[in-house]
Amino acid sequence: MQMQEMQEKIRAKARELLQSGSVDCVIGYERATDGKTARPAFIYTADDIDRLIYDRTCVHNLAKYLLDRKDKTTAIVAKPCDSRSVNLLINEKQIVREKVYVIGTVCQGMPDVTWNQIGEENQERCQRCAQRTPVMYDYLIGEPADAVIPTFKDVEEMEGKDIADKRAFWQEQFSRCIRCHACRQFCPGCYCSECFVDQLDPTWVGIRKTTADNEMWNTIRAFHLAGRCIACNECERSCPVNIPLSLLNRKLEKDVGDMFEFQAGLDSEAAAPFATFKKDEHLKGVE
Amino acid sequence: MSQVISKEDLIKWLESLLKDRTVVAPVAADGVTMFRPIARPEDVVYKPGNATLGPKECLFPLSHTIFTVERNDNGVSIVPDTMDREIVVFGLRPCDAQGFAIFDLPMLGDPADPYYKDRREKTTLIGIACNIAPPGCFCSSTGGGPHDATNLDVMLTEVSEGYIVQAVTEKGKELLQGVPLKESAAVPPPPPDMPLVPTDDIVAAMRRSFKDQYWSRLADRCTHCNICSYVCPTCYCFDIRDYQQDGKVHRVRSWESCQAPGFTKLAGGHDPRPEKGAKMRQRFAHKLLYFPEEFKGVLGCTGCGRCVRLCPVNIDIREIASDVQKIGGG
Repeated sequence: MQMQEMQEKIRAKARELLQSGSVDCVIGYERATDGKTARPAFIYTADDIDRLIYDRTCVHNLAKYLLDRKDKTTAIVAKPCDSRSVNLLINEKQIVREKVYVIGTVCQGMPDVTWNQIGEENQERCQRCAQRTPVMYDYLIGEPADAVIPTFKDVEEMEGKDIADKRAFWQEQFSRCIRCHACRQFCPGCYCSECFVDQLDPTWVGIRKTTADNEMWNTIRAFHLAGRCIACNECERSCPVNIPLSLLNRKLEKDVGDMFEFQAGLDSEAAAPFATFKKDEHLKGVE
Repeated sequence: MSQVISKEDLIKWLESLLKDRTVVAPVAADGVTMFRPIARPEDVVYKPGNATLGPKECLFPLSHTIFTVERNDNGVSIVPDTMDREIVVFGLRPCDAQGFAIFDLPMLGDPADPYYKDRREKTTLIGIACNIAPPGCFCSSTGGGPHDATNLDVMLTEVSEGYIVQAVTEKGKELLQGVPLKESAAVPPPPPDMPLVPTDDIVAAMRRSFKDQYWSRLADRCTHCNICSYVCPTCYCFDIRDYQQDGKVHRVRSWESCQAPGFTKLAGGHDPRPEKGAKMRQRFAHKLLYFPEEFKGVLGCTGCGRCVRLCPVNIDIREIASDVQKIGGG
């Protein structure tokens, strides 16, 4: 299905949902001020529906916005990765399934997009992504496509490096971190009412922004996403200093997959391994 | 006639500056450019437009131990942090320099911030004029311009023979002593055009629109991620904490943003500015309303375009400046 056709279907569904009063707001995409890329759009009335667009620049994961509208009914445009974060938020009891209407879009991958710049090829993470069809939806746009086998080539490459080289690599990366915490603000899995980095008593990290403190921040945040990260890459997309955060997240995704045979967000009923405790549970390969 | 320095002599000049000064200039790392102390003139990156992150850190470090408290025989002594070397910031753009001029208003007012003042006095700014304005730039709408030398000590403008050199201040003239300059008929290229942003009646428009629903609707898509504040050449909010280490107390000051979760949180947990709209409006009102009201009409924005280019959800100050003009109808 052409993207233009998908856009028309999104608009028609949004009109139907708003006019019938089924939802108060449709969260989709509209044209940004560069005239060529997309930005999130909140549509409250049928008059504004023509603002909605859908094209290869609609890279943002909109699921995080559902947390601002917990008690309201909302329709949301969701690609496969985004749909996994809706599942995550339902499973973790942050949102209620009945209040969310998911307009799922089949996805063949998206390019890297920043303001006024559109990449030619698909993002690396899209080239490695297993899902082409949203894992949950109320209305699907596009023909369901086969899942592909995810690869972890980049992670394996890093795993093969010497520990001193790994450390040097990450120290170099984290030395650039300005600790704006945009990675957290854009992560659909980061919703703690008080983040450990902001806590004063005890002060886990504090306000000092040395490379060591930055390492602490980025590593702990990654661990908090173990078995929960759905690989939407919003952390890396938003990072103003290009830290390859997905490499950390994907390492954890790979390990959780190997050890617990679990992938986050595929099923709203299945909790992350570290969010459950079963007496008879044991790691794969460990008696 | 212009005074021109060749590119070879510029490298020699930087080499001589590096002997007794810290030279901070744009360097490249993984697709971004940022100001860092350089070891050699070759480290400097010359690319159109401003660096991804500006030179704000040079005078207002991301994280700064402003003083340490030590116990000694006479009780305690407070040792403030001072710069032991002169700093040269090289390769900044007119918008970056205007950022420092805007910083000066609150930071060097009465009372002055001693830590900023120390660094400011020991810093010389060698800027490069913008002959190309990348998309998102709008400095000609915020009281400056791509060829505006006002806030620099030395201005360089690239021409085919090298750079036209303009000593703007006494400090700049001193730095240029002994530097070989050639008389030349070279003329600077015309400053690049950039789209205009309506800022003439912005203070009144911001006042008019203050309570409009516009702000909460706009803030729908804002995630309060702090990027805009941290890349802004005029955002100067900070947080302060004390750290105990090696038997001393270190008072650390770090960047903070009005968009951060704890910014307005009071003891006891009350937050007087919890709504997304009010929180986001605060940042733009500071730039376009409170700052010009406090400082004789000077906008708290230099048009550098960093927030425009780096906002992950396209909250665009140029669009806001234009939208608020249409609200309230005067």
